[in-house]
Amino acid sequence: MECCKNKVPWYKKLASTLLGTGNCHGEVNQNTHGLEKIALVGSPNVGKSVIFNRLTGVYVTVSNYPGTTVEVSRGKGIIGGVQYEIIDTPGMYSLMCITEEEKVTKDLLFREKPKALLHVIDAKNISRMLPLTIQMIEAGSPVILVLNIMDEAERMGLKIDVEGLQRELGIPVISTVAALNKGLDELKERVDEYVKSA
Amino acid sequence: MSMLNQLNISYDEIIESSVNKIVALLNHNYVISKRAAALLLLQEDDDMLELVKANEGNNYIKIIDIVERTKEKSDKPLSYIISLSRQKEVDKLTNKVVTKKKETEKKSISEFLSKLTMNPITGIPILLLVVYFGFYKFVGEFGAGTVVDFLEANIFESYINPWVDGVVNSIIPWTWLQDLIANEYGIITLGVRYAVAIVLPIVGAFFLVFSIIEDSGYLPRLAMLVDRVFKKIGLNGRAVIPMVLGFGCDTMATMVSRTLETKRERIIATLLLALAIPCSAQLGVIMSLLSGNSGALGIWFIFIMLVFLFIGFLTSKILPGEGPSFYMEVPPLRLPKLSNVLSKTYTRMQWYFVEIIPLFIFASVLIWLGNITGLFGLLISWLEPIVNVLGLPNEAAEVFLFGFFRRDYGAAGLFDLQKANILNPRQLVVSAATLTLFLPCVAQFAMMIKERGWKVALAMSAFILVFAFVAGYFLNQILLITGVLA
Repeated sequence: MECCKNKVPWYKKLASTLLGTGNCHGEVNQNTHGLEKIALVGSPNVGKSVIFNRLTGVYVTVSNYPGTTVEVSRGKGIIGGVQYEIIDTPGMYSLMCITEEEKVTKDLLFREKPKALLHVIDAKNISRMLPLTIQMIEAGSPVILVLNIMDEAERMGLKIDVEGLQRELGIPVISTVAALNKGLDELKERVDEYVKSA
Repeated sequence: MSMLNQLNISYDEIIESSVNKIVALLNHNYVISKRAAALLLLQEDDDMLELVKANEGNNYIKIIDIVERTKEKSDKPLSYIISLSRQKEVDKLTNKVVTKKKETEKKSISEFLSKLTMNPITGIPILLLVVYFGFYKFVGEFGAGTVVDFLEANIFESYINPWVDGVVNSIIPWTWLQDLIANEYGIITLGVRYAVAIVLPIVGAFFLVFSIIEDSGYLPRLAMLVDRVFKKIGLNGRAVIPMVLGFGCDTMATMVSRTLETKRERIIATLLLALAIPCSAQLGVIMSLLSGNSGALGIWFIFIMLVFLFIGFLTSKILPGEGPSFYMEVPPLRLPKLSNVLSKTYTRMQWYFVEIIPLFIFASVLIWLGNITGLFGLLISWLEPIVNVLGLPNEAAEVFLFGFFRRDYGAAGLFDLQKANILNPRQLVVSAATLTLFLPCVAQFAMMIKERGWKVALAMSAFILVFAFVAGYFLNQILLITGVLA
């Protein structure tokens, strides 16, 4: 993210001001100083960036392969009438990381204290992705589990008892199909509830 | 919603007792809970160890001692034991809340297609079809041919350039200022024309095709397909993604190379991106340059591919370290969403435009300065003997000088030379190939420094500069001796 903050050469700043664009390889960095934070985390290619786009109205690059996001993006989003700093992160599989872009996310988790941590998972691979949820519960983070890509999971014949999962984990669980804009309103409502009750 | 009891999993006795001991020793407040911190310490997580070393003073040594003793007591690595316990707990949980019904039939079609793309026998023809229709036909013929011709001939050369030249030359009395804005090397007549009429349509067409391919989920399948070849050059299939992204923009791709697992792989990928992967602008210009002569295009392609494999193979032999293992998630094939494809193409074009316009203008100004001071002529006179050794005419020296600023700027210059019929097919191939291998653009160089550090970036650039000319020389000699393009 430093490539967006300090190291932009003057001529690029000039050009991006003239053309009214942000640059830096599909990453976004709005001025979010002083706002409470809500971070999106999870394995690669589960739709964190799509949800980021929906929550902030800012476009960051979205693709159908793991590793599209390699830097943290920050944007403003309004949830329940309050403005938050929404943070999109590179995917990571575990708190023990292997690659450099996973480390970016971990650094963020170790340094910043988001009001809510949305753990986005691919509902099809729920059993492979829940260990990270558990790690974050262990860490005492304010986790909310987002079961994304529910449409594909249903097409595969998977039925997930969202209520039951919520009881077992003891954290809010919401199912979404972010690419089709389904479940986003509920997500916002639940985040609002969660943050205000905390 | 009332706060529920959060799931709390317990590990085996050995680990639990060590966790408790470590928790008791941690005095500093970390963002994550002490229990989680203790678990990370047991797994010897580097970041956590560093934090604890910095914050806990003498307790750090006691903690390390506990970790060591716990390791001795366990027959398997602690991280393995811990992950296994978690996974067991998760499996219990999912058995309760997830039920699986019979699959619907729609999946089998995409599953079948998916298999076709990854099987070498069907996958290679599919790859060739994608390259032929997506890139050769659409980007090369439509973008770099039809659209560029229209913008160049019908817009710039018929209207904008004569108008700019006319206005500037009649309003401004000084030739030196006239030349800055208009005429042969002016900001508008050269810099903006290259950017808008040649590079932008090509890049736009490329990004459009590329966005569709990205969103379909084809790239990870391509990674699986070429994994075997990549292993031979010290990379795993995962490296396919930065490589393919490089065809869009090498700068972006250099940044994405951080998704590779080992430092060794990242270095190899960075070098190959800088040397042998032409970016979309370059690729498009070169395709349209050589498309008139399929033999020339073929030689260029084979030559670049050989360089890619040869240098990859060589670096993987020279650099110490193990060959990579390969693990990649293959997402399902999906029908790309038009809105995402369009906004992605638009964002990338916008980004590219912001990136190149200032640089192209900057290059125009530099060239203008060089012309006024005579430095440009001096540099060209130094370069001329070198390009002559490659069998190229003096005019090519100018193109190579442009190429120092950006490879695509140089390639666009080549476009001008070809239209003036200055180069024969052999010279065209040699200059196109040398320029493809040439030093990356300023932005990529900056990214190389950022990702790999000064030393590596400088060493790579020096190597590339020499290698490009030497390779160009040999290509020219081979073509002369065999008389292929005579």
